[in-house]
Amino acid sequence: MNLAIETNGLTRCFGDLVAVDNLDLRVEAGKFYGFLGPNGAGKSTTIKMLTGLLGPTRGTMRILGEQIDRPEKAREVKRRIGVVPEEMALFDNLTAREYLIFIGRMYGLPLATVRERTDELLEMMTLADEHKKLTLEFSHGMNKKLTLAAALIPNPDLLFLDEPFEGVDAVSSSILRDTLKQCVQRGATVFLTSHVLEIVERLCTDVGIITKGKLVYQGTMDEIRQAGSLEERFLKAVGKDHVERQSLSWLEG
Amino acid sequence: MDTSQLRTILWLRWRLTRNQWRRSGQLNAVIMMLIAAAAFVIGAAGAIVGLLIGALLMKNTTPWALLGIWDAIVIAFLFFWMIGIISEIQRSETIDISKLLHLPVSLREIFFVNYIASHFTLCFIVFVPSMLGLALGLAISKSGLMLLMPFLVAGFIFMISAWTYCLRGWLVTLMANKRRRRAIIAGVTFTFILLSQLPNLLGNILHDHKRHGPGATQSAPSEQTETPNSGGQVVPRVIVEAHKYVPFLWVGNGARALAEGSVWPAILGSAGMFILGALGLSRAYRSTVRFYLGQTTRKRSTPRAKEAKVSRAQISFLEKQLPGIPDESAAMALAFFRSLMRAPEVKMMLGTNFMMLLFFGFMILMRRRAGISDDFRPFIATGAVVLTFFGLTRLMLNQFGHDREGFRALVLSPVLRKHILLGKNLALLPITVCLGAILLLLIKFVIGVTVAVTFAAFLQLIAAFLLLSMAGNLISTLVPYRVAPGSMKPTKIPAMTALLLFLSHMLFPVAMGPIFLPAIAGLLFAKAGLMSAGAVNLLFSIVMLATTAFFYRLSLPGLGNLLQRHEKRILEVVTREIE
Ligand SMILES: Nc1ncnc2c1ncn2[C@@H]1O[C@H](COP(=O)(O)OP(=O)(O)OP(=O)(O)O)[C@@H](O)[C@H]1O
Ligand SMILES: [Mg+2]
Repeated sequence: MNLAIETNGLTRCFGDLVAVDNLDLRVEAGKFYGFLGPNGAGKSTTIKMLTGLLGPTRGTMRILGEQIDRPEKAREVKRRIGVVPEEMALFDNLTAREYLIFIGRMYGLPLATVRERTDELLEMMTLADEHKKLTLEFSHGMNKKLTLAAALIPNPDLLFLDEPFEGVDAVSSSILRDTLKQCVQRGATVFLTSHVLEIVERLCTDVGIITKGKLVYQGTMDEIRQAGSLEERFLKAVGKDHVERQSLSWLEG
Repeated sequence: MDTSQLRTILWLRWRLTRNQWRRSGQLNAVIMMLIAAAAFVIGAAGAIVGLLIGALLMKNTTPWALLGIWDAIVIAFLFFWMIGIISEIQRSETIDISKLLHLPVSLREIFFVNYIASHFTLCFIVFVPSMLGLALGLAISKSGLMLLMPFLVAGFIFMISAWTYCLRGWLVTLMANKRRRRAIIAGVTFTFILLSQLPNLLGNILHDHKRHGPGATQSAPSEQTETPNSGGQVVPRVIVEAHKYVPFLWVGNGARALAEGSVWPAILGSAGMFILGALGLSRAYRSTVRFYLGQTTRKRSTPRAKEAKVSRAQISFLEKQLPGIPDESAAMALAFFRSLMRAPEVKMMLGTNFMMLLFFGFMILMRRRAGISDDFRPFIATGAVVLTFFGLTRLMLNQFGHDREGFRALVLSPVLRKHILLGKNLALLPITVCLGAILLLLIKFVIGVTVAVTFAAFLQLIAAFLLLSMAGNLISTLVPYRVAPGSMKPTKIPAMTALLLFLSHMLFPVAMGPIFLPAIAGLLFAKAGLMSAGAVNLLFSIVMLATTAFFYRLSLPGLGNLLQRHEKRILEVVTREIE
């Protein structure tokens, strides 16, 4: 089995809080992996550790078969991954086009390729007409799309997407879903978090559910479908299926 | 007004402050408390001292001297108040109205709470009690008529605070647009710095013209107030007239009139200031309502026209390649340069810096031009090199603080960290070379240094740049801090970082020391009669540049590794937003 992501005992604490607790993730290469969990479950913290934005307190990680504790290996791996972090990674004072060119060149792509991909991506994200605006004047959704474009520009083998569809309009979101499917068909791996279960159900082949920092479920979408819906599975995994749903006292009666 | 809502709003204000203190650590909280306590102590002490001075020492002060004293106080107050405004502007409203608008609270309450809260500035706490104390003291020592003074003071304070509030509200409306906001902050700061230099400049010019006494280099206002002091009768007409028509001089005018026994100027003055204050406040209120309730009358200006200039030429700028530089570093240098040149805070910093250099450097030089010995000239050229870096150190020693969210892209990138550093350094090279070259050329033509020495100084400029880049790479990695967008002010930093920063800035002269070696060598060789100073200077400069370039290259990989090890921590620091 060819693993794109493998973690062993991955843990991250913030003071007393254990945000990610002994996580043992296995994500096969070529899968579309949905990483689910309630707010504050530790999804973003996990992605930050996997992408080198945050150091783990304990545990080891292998990305694309490489141990990423060593800086040289980490850089090699970074060349092959694309990331949409939870918080953006934009420079205030550049335009969208400038930013993409900058990112493309940072990945060591030839200039002609950078230019070509930049133009295509801007077109696809419907940002091509915004070439006069600086990113600090972008709307939230525009920034998100630009970050997505930046993640796609190196044509990565592995994509980490932290809530990529949040704030993105329906048109772009549909184009984006197709693009991601294409990436996976081509053999890339996508690791995605989202709160919109319909999207996950439609796109993902594999699902992991995390709550309070612990991985409580890992399985394929087919298994889930056989047993019911993703929502049922999710509620069960986070322990909210049997519990009497609380309602507001003053709305009753 | 609903008192429970009012209480809630005040509670909110208190909570926000408390949490902010708590988050910034115990030491900072203690320091903040100490400052606040000190301000109150100073205020109280000021009141007592004012009272005593007024009651005991000013019994025989002439009316015109009294006017001068009040003018001086008022002007000093206005000066500190202006400084306050600058830092205030960068701070958001005490209670951000836009965050409460969806709640059923009335805009008017929040407006008044915010207005009242705007009085709690250092400047007000220190000055107002002293002014009131002095007024009371005068009432004791002079006559009961002086009891009208507190009204004048109150009117003055009300007028100033109301209009300040109005001004701030107006700026907020203007700043609703992000890009414009930063330009405005930059512009206001810049104007202020220039204004604050004005008295100095005037002083210098007067000094040049009249060459009387050392007192002339002090600020212009004090001269103005000296005039009536020197002899009761020779008060120029302009000053008398000014006191009739300039609102903030009404305080002094009222004091003089009261001392002379007439009450009307004081009564009219305070009434006038109260009316002006009320006008300001109502204006502020109206514009607040308009702004938050969306009845903006602002014309949608035509931003398109200006922005349309971003052309092919600029776009291709980032696609340039730099000879002999790795592609990643080139891409970075170009992107950083572009984004620095667009950042108003950087423009402002470079602009002010340059103006100051020109003002002060050349004011001194012009005066002493004749007296400079030939031996000393090369040192002036090298001195100019050092001066070039004064304003740049804040950029060079904190390379990542301006990236903020963008630094995340650097951490995510697969680029060798030494290439990141190289790119960062290269981005600042054109700025350095431009500033330095302008200064050196001016020096060449103003003081008349030789071509050889000018060229040597230019080489020293590059050498100094490399030295500082090395130091900067180290310090930016070890002591990063976030710079708030639109200002050069660091966001709140822990006391430890502040200390380290202070120490690292102290290193600046040490790092600059070697730059003077070529000039010294030139002097020594010339004195020993071995070779001409210029030639030796040039030779040594070449050697020095080669040496620093060698060490710079040598240092890059090591510093790159250091950056690699610290990048996650830097990321945490520069992306953490603190109100
Ligand atoms: N820098 C930090 N300092 C302290 N605590 C943090 C920090 N970052 C995250 N946490 C805490 O770690 C936990 C996990 O946060 P994380 O951002 O990973 O959640 P998440 O699963 O991404 O949630 P969401 O779906 O809301 O984005 C939360 O309890 C959060 O408060
Ligand atoms: Mg998250």
